[in-house]
Amino acid sequence: MATHAAAPRQRWRRYGTSYLMLLPFLGLFAGFLVWPLANSLYLSFTKFDGVNAPEFEGLENFRRLLFDDDRFRHALGNTFLYVVASVGIGTLLSLGLALAFSGSSWPHRIMRTIFFLPSVTSSIALMLLWKWIFNPGDFGLANTVMTWFGGRAVEWLATPGLTIPILVLMSVWGGMGYGMVLYVAGLNTIPQEYYEAARIDGATSWQQFRRVTLPLLRPVTTYVVVTGLIGAFQVFEAVYIVFRGTNNIGGVLDSGLMIVPYLYDQGFTHFKLGYASAIAWVLFLIIFALSMVNLRIGRALKEL
Amino acid sequence: MAVAPTTTPLVADPAAAPRQAPAAGSGATWRGHLLRLPFYLLSLTMIAPFYWMLITVFKPVTELNRQPPSFVPEHPTLSNFYDPGYSPTQVNPGHLQGIFQRFQVDFGFGRFMFNSLVITVAITVGSLLIASLAAYVITKHRVPGRRLIFLLIVASMMVPWQTTLVPNYVIMRNLGWLDTYQGYIVPALAKAFVLFFLVQFLHSVPDELIQAARVDGAGEWRIWWQIVLPLLRPALAAMSIFIVLAEWNNFLWPLIIVQSDEMANIPVALARLNTYFGGAQHQGAIMAGGLLASLPSIAFFLAFQRYFTRGIVLSGLKG
Repeated sequence: MATHAAAPRQRWRRYGTSYLMLLPFLGLFAGFLVWPLANSLYLSFTKFDGVNAPEFEGLENFRRLLFDDDRFRHALGNTFLYVVASVGIGTLLSLGLALAFSGSSWPHRIMRTIFFLPSVTSSIALMLLWKWIFNPGDFGLANTVMTWFGGRAVEWLATPGLTIPILVLMSVWGGMGYGMVLYVAGLNTIPQEYYEAARIDGATSWQQFRRVTLPLLRPVTTYVVVTGLIGAFQVFEAVYIVFRGTNNIGGVLDSGLMIVPYLYDQGFTHFKLGYASAIAWVLFLIIFALSMVNLRIGRALKEL
Repeated sequence: MAVAPTTTPLVADPAAAPRQAPAAGSGATWRGHLLRLPFYLLSLTMIAPFYWMLITVFKPVTELNRQPPSFVPEHPTLSNFYDPGYSPTQVNPGHLQGIFQRFQVDFGFGRFMFNSLVITVAITVGSLLIASLAAYVITKHRVPGRRLIFLLIVASMMVPWQTTLVPNYVIMRNLGWLDTYQGYIVPALAKAFVLFFLVQFLHSVPDELIQAARVDGAGEWRIWWQIVLPLLRPALAAMSIFIVLAEWNNFLWPLIIVQSDEMANIPVALARLNTYFGGAQHQGAIMAGGLLASLPSIAFFLAFQRYFTRGIVLSGLKG
């Protein structure tokens, strides 16, 4: 215990450089992540317009969000629908693509590059492209294709019933190549001997897929699904670029209103910064819960 | 770690040669091709939008709203980039501003490309430097509290960054950093996933190398610069690809902090064009802007594709 008094100085002499090397990262981490996080929790309990000092009003923002705000409920409903559809369809297609094009021959590699291309293309450029493709005029690409099949020109972006399907389409189109690449990496960790053993036992290729491939891909599937869910909950650009009207962020009848666009709308169009912080914390809780599920599944798989 | 935390980037090279092809109608048999047929058709729907973008860029204004549309530009032109026939005083429906004439800032659209480049390079270099310093200390120094610090940083990867949007906006405003480069760069420097990735990588580097340098009398900063950084090179390369693509295309944060035209990055500039010009006759210039936004990131990816493989091998997915 005698050394205890001298400890701080000794410690500084010994670890001073270490702490100094940690400082840039930790300082920025604390200043732009930890502190803002705490601050946003505080702001979510206040009324704050960005000009006057925040006014504490307890759980009022959350009460309004959950019980009084039809637009928020609508945004939640839209988001859930979009998330489930886009992740479900996207994951299935990713797996299919990986099974189809996992080889090392050049046709497979070209196919993989084609499907991966949207992942490295400017997302704003892609959204502008979709908006142009779904142009209501009969010269738009989507409407031209419609006429080939004897259909009529459609007001794609002004028909509320089409909003979520189009958002899902854009998300699946842009994201399935990424999932595919993860699945290909997963497929290549499966030892070829397993398939040989299965074939010797007389397993058909469907049985091999069902009993060997699918179970061994489970960690990859968990990863693809959970990261997909988390990414989909944060959708913003597709709504903001493709569907936003002149004075309504969510498109016609709010048919494309989602959590993050609503956060942006309340916080940075109407400057209800307290309310926007409450929305941010609802998003936080959803994503935190998903991450915990991910960790728990990961741990459970490890124990198997 | 069985499954990597959810926000760890998994970057991979789609064209990399895998070790073997698994079963499922494998090989180039007719049955294999038949099974793959739906996916071959699907690949056409991948290419079609890109093709549509490309031909739109080279169509003259008068060809953009023709019905039926042309699928090869009949009078290919570069006027969507710069139209010498355009005059601000004389209205002529056949000549509109090209993308480089749409903004009243010096160098036009080039200014936004410059902004995007400066921001992307600064964030990539800066975030890798500070994360490698911290990762070196966390893995190779026995500082008290390092476990707690690492745990805190890993936990933060579960936070959606939008949660910090409002407070960070207020911080930027109070610092006077709205509409500045530092407003783009400084809040983006401490990246938890980069630190996490580098720590994992450094764990596999034997301590002896560093011990040996210490015995030779090298200081900690020199060890970091001359030994740790070169050792980290593959990890830094994999991370830099991920950071470059993310920052080049970053949109929501710039949308909030940018006020003037001069300080916009490419995505914000394109979004503004989208707000101002909705008509079909403007889509050639807008698609030209989209092409200028996309080509650098696609080229960057194709050039450094091989480093992408390491990203996926090094991250938690495998274990």
